[in-house]
Amino acid sequence: MKGTDDRRRQRFDALFAAYSPSIVAYCGWRADSASDAQDAVAEVFLAAWRRLDELPEGDAARVWLYATARRVLANQRRSTRRREALRERLARERSPAATESPGAEEASVRAALMQLGPRDREVLLLSEWEDLAPAQIAEVLGCLTVTARGRLHRARRRFRNAFESLCGGDDECPAHNNDRLLRGEHQHV
Amino acid sequence: MSDGFDALRRANPRARTGFAESIEVAAEAVRARIAAAPPGATSRRRRVPRRRLVGISMACASAAAGAAVIVALGSLGGGTSIGSAHAALASAAGVTASSAERSGTATVRITRDGEAWGSTTVRWGQGDVAIRREDRPEQAGALMLLVDGTVYGVEHRGEWLDLGHPGNIDPDSGTTPAEYLAAVREDVGGATLRRLTGAMRNLSRSERNDGSVVYSGTVSAGLIARERGFKAGQHTRVLPFGYVAHGEAADPDSQLRTTVTTGTDRVVREIAVRWGTWRYTVTYDELGTTPAPVAPENAKSLEDLRRQQLRGER
Repeated sequence: MKGTDDRRRQRFDALFAAYSPSIVAYCGWRADSASDAQDAVAEVFLAAWRRLDELPEGDAARVWLYATARRVLANQRRSTRRREALRERLARERSPAATESPGAEEASVRAALMQLGPRDREVLLLSEWEDLAPAQIAEVLGCLTVTARGRLHRARRRFRNAFESLCGGDDECPAHNNDRLLRGEHQHV
Repeated sequence: MSDGFDALRRANPRARTGFAESIEVAAEAVRARIAAAPPGATSRRRRVPRRRLVGISMACASAAAGAAVIVALGSLGGGTSIGSAHAALASAAGVTASSAERSGTATVRITRDGEAWGSTTVRWGQGDVAIRREDRPEQAGALMLLVDGTVYGVEHRGEWLDLGHPGNIDPDSGTTPAEYLAAVREDVGGATLRRLTGAMRNLSRSERNDGSVVYSGTVSAGLIARERGFKAGQHTRVLPFGYVAHGEAADPDSQLRTTVTTGTDRVVREIAVRWGTWRYTVTYDELGTTPAPVAPENAKSLEDLRRQQLRGER
């Protein structure tokens, strides 16, 4: 029995070591706040701990974790709508000290991302930041691979257009010359 | 800048400073959650985590460093190192955080060589916050309220001023109300409490005659005093509720002696941290029952006063 427990714990430790950066990063850009992100990460790995025996092996476990994180975050949002007014009051202002100011390039990226719809943004970042293949994205989103591929294609095109409209030329990028984007009007994505 | 995709990849949050720390925080949270989970629990459904009153810096969770950050959960798996003390403490933190979510009062005291260094009382409820600097009650700004998104402060004559939106006040001039409120927003919720209790090492437990329980251990200073800004060419680290960390507390690698006291109801009553001759305590009261702060009557609008002043000067 003890041997089984040890193996279980070893597997969990290995899972956490391998994939916690991915899930922390994913929840970081998907959650409404860092505390939500932290909650979500903990929730995801608690679910993994409880369902460890059902978890697929290898990279499929990473996809499972992403899909679980997505559901956890969706639940968070649903459960917190009642507090929307509170959030607006208290979270409207982000402390300048608490938010790392982005560089000009990153500000441009964020501005372009904010021009995308949430679905486009999600699928694009799952691909570009989380390095998931269309089939894996489909699994996370719960859709067909062909659907995910189509969404990704459209999201990439829209991002490219948005970025180009913001940064027509290297030296003309509004974000390079306009402090507006650096002063906090950017949003977390 | 190519077509933006190179820039997009470079903007990956993993590339930002602080990502490693956010994974450590996650590891602590996971450890606490698992320790608090009932032994052998394998239920597929569990309570959705209650939302905290406030959020901690997005920068922390989305901040980033190297891709292959390995955080050994270590004691997570160790049968003897995750004892009932860890589980009880995590449970107390959870219960307290849930109670604190709605409302509460926290009294923060910091002493050096036994002498009072600072003291603040924070009351919160229904999303509004009242902050009173007990150590300088006569000073302008010693009492600050955030009610319905408006900041009120007491000026030196004791009159209330409507200072407007927190973001409008004193930008670029040291710690602004917005910055301070942001810190308090983090600390009145469960995030700070969970972070500290989840990070305790060398944990021991003792029960007092009155039924309260004291958990003693050490916590990394970096998890107690988080980095909050950059001042005079140096990063500043700030203790929960806004006091700048000095001495060992400013060194993130220092291990600070920490005690957490829970009442007979197993709700956290006090967190105390000691280093050198410093002692820092946060005492929680009236969790869930503190009345919400109310906007002061007859508060003068700062904006109106400014306009009047301008007209007078002309």
